[in-house]
Amino acid sequence: MECERLREQGAELALGILPARERAEAVAHLDRCPDCREHVERLTAVGDGLLALLPDAEPPVGFESRVVRALGAAPAAKPRRHRLRLAAAAVAATVACGFGGWAVGTVVEGAPSSVSRRTDGDLREAALVSGGHEVGRIFTHGGDRGWVYMSVELPGTDRGPVRCLLVHADGSTVPMGSFPLKDGYGYWGAPAPVDPTTVTGARLVGPDGSVLATARFPTS
Amino acid sequence: MGRERIGWGDHCVAGNCCQRNPFRAPERIPGMWRMGLSFGRVPDEALLTGLTTGDPELAVAFVRRFQSTVHGVALAVLGDAQLAEDVAQQTFERAWRHAQMFDSRRGSVRAWLTTIAHNLAIDAVRARRARPVAPEDLDALLGSMTETPERRALADDNAERVRRAVAELPREQARALVMAGIYGMTAWEVAEAEHIPLGTAKTRIRTGTRKVRALLETEERR
Repeated sequence: MECERLREQGAELALGILPARERAEAVAHLDRCPDCREHVERLTAVGDGLLALLPDAEPPVGFESRVVRALGAAPAAKPRRHRLRLAAAAVAATVACGFGGWAVGTVVEGAPSSVSRRTDGDLREAALVSGGHEVGRIFTHGGDRGWVYMSVELPGTDRGPVRCLLVHADGSTVPMGSFPLKDGYGYWGAPAPVDPTTVTGARLVGPDGSVLATARFPTS
Repeated sequence: MGRERIGWGDHCVAGNCCQRNPFRAPERIPGMWRMGLSFGRVPDEALLTGLTTGDPELAVAFVRRFQSTVHGVALAVLGDAQLAEDVAQQTFERAWRHAQMFDSRRGSVRAWLTTIAHNLAIDAVRARRARPVAPEDLDALLGSMTETPERRALADDNAERVRRAVAELPREQARALVMAGIYGMTAWEVAEAEHIPLGTAKTRIRTGTRKVRALLETEERR
């Protein structure tokens, strides 16, 4: 296939409506032609943008409960066994993402308040602080289904990867994971058992071991 | 616990945390009615992280946050309430199974879910039958998609740019673009539905797509 023909079919390819045989030929061409690949990726944004224009529609009453039950996450009265459901994801080679991506602009939420607070249940939240300024937030959810999530913005910092460590009451630290910062911004999350009775805070550590930011969870 | 855990994340923003209908009565799941408030400020990516742990409270919060978007996509494509509900449910199940595949560099959690819902809806349409969309349905949807901001708040600036770009297209190109981009109709199906030659249908789809892209790029440069 020539570039000229690909350009003619690019819109149909980007919108996912090109018939199978032509699609296969086009994809094979894209594998070896970065210019055409970029062309189609730009067009793909149009299809993604169209989807963002579709009006919301509230589902029927009971939908929420049915979905939660289908996810196997129905509430239970007694403690549940640790059952992270991550293995299934490993086989997901072709999640329902259309060709070329699904990039749509994201929305920046209003800046969170700077006050650390304890929320309902096992969810805890604290500000990540550097030099007396809030530079991010960390959330943890306790229990054997716990998880950790943090987002951070350190302008002028583009060194990575940075590491997240949880700090325990006895002063010990436990590495949770690492993630890159791009233009000083990054976020990371992962399932992790978090014991709210022993975890008192968190640290964000740079590649050289220096502490970039710290967080302290409120005591109950 | 000495090993670092495999997580996911990158440079994404913490966004899209709106509760689309905060006044909607929460469903009666014991112990969860307060969660809509407590999880309201948690970023989308954090909720997705928590969803994989199987926590019912997080699952409720996640579903509650995105259900109207997901269901809206399915309903727009399918036009069938029961089928749309099934597809919306499948969307959440797929998101839950494949949460590890989410990559914020390619878009937001909402965009990811929207794409999953759209692909599933298109599959459902194709499995059921090849249906030329009714002209009145298409016009109604096109009208809804190009409603002015005063009538409908869009999720973000990019969506608003797309709306303006689509609204500027000649009607026949906008119709072809929506048939292809929303209903997943091939050029041949567009030609049949519009009673035009195949070449004309292809031209309308291609021209409409390129014009929207060009208008988007023009605005992005401003």
